[in-house]
Amino acid sequence: MAIKRRTLLTASLATPAIVESVGAQQPFDWRRFRGQKIEVTLTANPRSQLLIQHQKEFEELTGIRVGSESVPEQQHRQKVVIEFASGRPSFDVVGISLHVSKRLIGRARWTTDLRPLIADPTMTSPDFAFDDFGQGAVAYSTQSDGRLDTLPEFTDYHIIYWNKELFEAKGVAYPRTLEEIYTAAKALTDPSKNQYGWVGRGLKNANITLWAAFLIGTKQRDAVSSDMKLLTDTDDAVWASELYTKLMRECAPPGSIGFNWNECQTTFGQGRAAMWLDGVGFAAPLEDPTKSRISGKVGYGVAPPGPASHHCGMYGSALGIPEASRNRGPAWFYAQWATNKTNQLRYLTNGAGSPARQSPFRNEEAISSSRFPRAFFDCLIESGRIAHPGLPEIIPVTEFRDTLGVALTNMIGGADIRAELRKATDAFRPVLEKSEQA
Amino acid sequence: MTSAPAAAAQGGTAAAGTRSLRRNYARHYYGFIVPAAVVVLAVIIFPWIFTLYMSVHDWKIGGARTYVGLANYIQLFSDERFGWSIVRTLWFTLLAVAAPMVLGVIAAICFHRRFPLRGMARTIFILPMMATPVAVALVWTMMFHPQLGVLNYILTSLGLPPSSWVYDASTVIPTLVLVETWHWTPLVMLIVLGGLASLPTDPYEAAKIDGANAWQAFRHITLPLLMPFIVVSLIIRTIDALKVFDTIFVITQGGPGTASETINIFLYLQAFAFYQMGYASAVVVVFFAIIILLAIALLWTRARARIS
Amino acid sequence: MRKFRKIAGQAGFGFAVLMLISPAVLVFLWMISLSLKNEVDNMAYPPVFIPAPPTLDNFIAVFERNDFLTYTINSIITSFGATGLALAVGVPAGYGIAKMRATRAAMLILLARITPGLSYLIPLFLLFQWLGLTGTLVPIVITHLVITVPIVVWVMIGFFEGLPGELEEAALVDGATIWQAFRHVALPLARPGITVATILSFIFSWNNFIFAVVLAGRETRTLPVAVYNVLTFEQIAWGPLAAAALLVTAPVLLLTLVAQKEIVTGLTTGGVKGG
Repeated sequence: MAIKRRTLLTASLATPAIVESVGAQQPFDWRRFRGQKIEVTLTANPRSQLLIQHQKEFEELTGIRVGSESVPEQQHRQKVVIEFASGRPSFDVVGISLHVSKRLIGRARWTTDLRPLIADPTMTSPDFAFDDFGQGAVAYSTQSDGRLDTLPEFTDYHIIYWNKELFEAKGVAYPRTLEEIYTAAKALTDPSKNQYGWVGRGLKNANITLWAAFLIGTKQRDAVSSDMKLLTDTDDAVWASELYTKLMRECAPPGSIGFNWNECQTTFGQGRAAMWLDGVGFAAPLEDPTKSRISGKVGYGVAPPGPASHHCGMYGSALGIPEASRNRGPAWFYAQWATNKTNQLRYLTNGAGSPARQSPFRNEEAISSSRFPRAFFDCLIESGRIAHPGLPEIIPVTEFRDTLGVALTNMIGGADIRAELRKATDAFRPVLEKSEQA
Repeated sequence: MTSAPAAAAQGGTAAAGTRSLRRNYARHYYGFIVPAAVVVLAVIIFPWIFTLYMSVHDWKIGGARTYVGLANYIQLFSDERFGWSIVRTLWFTLLAVAAPMVLGVIAAICFHRRFPLRGMARTIFILPMMATPVAVALVWTMMFHPQLGVLNYILTSLGLPPSSWVYDASTVIPTLVLVETWHWTPLVMLIVLGGLASLPTDPYEAAKIDGANAWQAFRHITLPLLMPFIVVSLIIRTIDALKVFDTIFVITQGGPGTASETINIFLYLQAFAFYQMGYASAVVVVFFAIIILLAIALLWTRARARIS
Repeated sequence: MRKFRKIAGQAGFGFAVLMLISPAVLVFLWMISLSLKNEVDNMAYPPVFIPAPPTLDNFIAVFERNDFLTYTINSIITSFGATGLALAVGVPAGYGIAKMRATRAAMLILLARITPGLSYLIPLFLLFQWLGLTGTLVPIVITHLVITVPIVVWVMIGFFEGLPGELEEAALVDGATIWQAFRHVALPLARPGITVATILSFIFSWNNFIFAVVLAGRETRTLPVAVYNVLTFEQIAWGPLAAAALLVTAPVLLLTLVAQKEIVTGLTTGGVKGG
C-alpha cells in the first residue's frame, strides 16, 4: 500500500524537468543520508525529552547519527540567536519558540524555506502528509512573505487548571466569563487556611502571558495593531491590567509577584490554589501522584469568553533548519521524523502538550487508553478552535515582555494602572518603531 | 597595593637589604613577565578596547553596525531603569559588605582562640565559600518558596511570621544579601584571621600591666592593628559584591519586577536578552568606571588607615 | 563563683561557634536531604527532614537524563587546563613583578580582577568566532584564564615578595643566570605558594558559570551550566536538582576538606578570589 502510493505520488509530481535531475529518479529513501551526522538543539521541555528518548528510532531508520541537546528556554533562545548571528550556527535542526523568535528569524532569513523540500518527493516521505498539520499551526509557522521557514511541532494553549475538590467544597462553579474568574477566585480565597483562589505567573516578562490571556477577550484582542501600532495604553489594556492586578493582589498567595511557572506549579500541585492559568503542558506532572497531591482532582477548563471576544492565548514551537547548515538534507529527514504521526501522538498521550498535527486528536483508541481524563483532551480540542496568538508578532518580543512585565509588577505593588501603562508604552514605542525601520 | 598584606609585612626588611642588587638586575626580569603579558593582552586588554569600540556603535545582533558617537552614553544617562540599577547595586553592595564584615571579624576572633575541634569547625565554616554558587543558589531558591519552603516552616515553628523572601520587592535585596553573606563571610574571616595570627604580643603585655580589661585591649590594640587586614577584606568584599551575578541571576533574574535588577543583571538583559550590544558595551564602560571609583576611594581609606 | 563564670563563658563561646557554623551545616544537610527524597516528600509541608527510606532515584535520574559524565570531563579539562596555563605564565610573572617591584603591572592584574566577568563575554565570543574555535573546549579554557591568571599572579607576587632574597643572591654571585636562580632556588622555595595558587584557581574555575553559559555548546558544557539545565520547562524536579547541585559541589568541597590548611594559608596571605 505504502509503496503503491509512493510510486503514484512520484509519478504524478515528476514533471520532465525534474526527471532529468539525478535525485528525482530515485524514490524517497530514508537511508539516503546514512553515515552522516547532525546536531539538534531543542528547548528543555517534556516534548524535547520524548524526542531525545526515542531518537534511536530515527538513527536506526536512517543511519544518520544525531547529537541532540535540550537547553532551558531563555538560555536556548539567546544561544540560538547569537549562533545564527555569527553566521556559523553549530546546529542543523533547531527548536524555535514562534511566539518569541518568529519575526526575528524570518526577517534575518536564518532558516530555510521548507516548501520546496515538502514538494520534493525524493526528499519527503510519502506518509508525511503535510495536510495533517493544523491550519492554525501552519499559519503560525508561515512568515508574512509566504515562506514556511519552520515546521510546526507544538501548539500551546493557555488553559485554566482548576482544583475540583476546592471548588466543590465552597460550592463555586467554574467561571463563565473572564470577569467571573475574579469572583470565583475571591470566593475560594481563605488566607487563614493558606488557601488561595488563584495562582499565576507574577514574575516580570513571564507575567505578560496572563495579561495577554485577558486582553484577548476584549474588542482589541492584540497588544499591537496589524499596522504595527502599540495598543498598550487603551481602555481595553487597562481592563486587562485591572483584572490581572485584582487577581494577583487579592486572590493569589503571598510572593506570587515573583512566581514563574515552576513556583505556580508547586503551589497548585500541593492543593493550595484553586485555579491556575498556564500552558497545556502541565497535565503530566499534575496527574503524577509521585509529584502532585491533586492527581485525579484536576479540572481542565477552556479560557472563558471576555467582554467582546472569546479566545485563548496560543503559543507554539516549531523546528527550523539553518540556511547555513551543511546538512540540510539529513536535518530535514530529522524534522520529518520528529513531527511524524507517532511522535505527535506521543506528545498528546503523554500529556506533554498539544501536537501540531490533527490526526492524534482523532485517535480515539489512544485517547481513551491514555492515563489522562477525557476532559483534558476535550479542553485541548475546544481551545484549538478559539486559539489566537498570545503575543504580538514583532521583533523585540523580549523587550516588550520585559517593559510591560515591569509595569504589571508595579501595578501589583500598588502603582496607578493607567500611568504605568502609559509609561511602559512610551518606553517601548521607540524600540518597536526602530525595529520596524531597520 | 603591589603586595598582599602579610607578605608586605614580612617582605619589607628582606627587600631593603637587597635593593642595590635588585636595581642592577631589574630589567632582566622582563623576560619573566612577557608570557603573562601576552595572555593578559589577548584575553583581558583586547576585550577592554573592543568594548570601548562597541560602546560608540549602534549594533543589535542580526543587524548592521553603525557609528553613533556618544549616543549610547547619552541614552544611558537618561535611562531611568539604569539609574535605579545603580542605586540598587550600591544598596546591595553596602549590605553585602557590612554583614559579612561584621560576622567575619567576630568569626575570626572566635577561631583565633584555641578550642577543641577548632580545625574541623574552621573547615566547615569555610565550606560555603568554596561551594559552586549556581548550585547553592538553586538550593536556596527551593528553600525560599513562600508556601512550601523549609525556611518559612522554620520561621513559623519559632512563632515568627513567614516571609516572602525573594518573592517580594521589599525583602528581595536583604534575602539575596543573606545568601551572599552565607557565601563570603568565610573569606573575610580568613583574611582577618591571618591578621590576628601576625599580631605582636608585646602591646598586650604592656596593656595588662596598665590594667586594661579585655574590651579595652581589643578596642585600643587589636582593632587598630587589624585595620589593614579589615580594609583589605573590605576592598575585596566591595568589588565582589558589586560584581555579583550568578546568585541574583539564578534566584531572581532581577525580579520581582526590577526589585533586584543590579547593573550586572541590567547588562545581561541588554546584551543577551535584547541583543543591544552597543548599548550593553556602554553599560560595561560605566560599570567599570563605578567600580574603579569605589576601589580608589577604598584604597585612599586604606592609605589613611595605614598612616593612623 | 569564678569557676561558674568560666564555665558559663565557655558555654557561651561554644554556642557562638555553633551559631557560626550552623548555617553552613544546615544548608548542606538540607541539600543532601532534598537529593535523597522523592518529589512528594520534597514538596511536603510541613517539610520531611529525614529521608525515610532514602532513595537514590534522583541521582539515577540526573545521570540518565543528562550527559553528566561528559560534563564532568569537560569541567575537569577546563579547570585543569586553565589552571595549568595560568601557572605556566603566572608563576614567572609573579616572580618578575615581585623582583622588579613593578607596581603598574600589579595594578593591571588587579584591574583584571575588578572587571565584571560578563564584560569579557561579547568581545571574546566574537574573537573565537573569528578564529573558528567555537564548539571546542578551547574558548572555555581561554576565557577561564581571565579568572585563573590574576589569581595565580596575585598569590605568587605575595609569596615571592615574602621569600628572603639571600639564597638567590648567593646563586647569582656564584655565576648562575637569573633564570637558573629562579628555576633552582626561588621555585622550590615557593612550592607552598604554587600549591595555594593551584587550588584556588582550580576551584574558582570549576565554579564559574557565566562564561560557559554563553560559550559552551552541547559537547563543551561544564558542570555548573549542566546543573542549571536540570531546570526543565513544565517539570518540577527538586530532587534531581538538589542531587545535581550536590554532585557539582562535592569535588570542590572534598578538595577543601583535604587542602584546607593550604587554602587557609593562601587566603590569609593573598586574599584573592576570582570571578
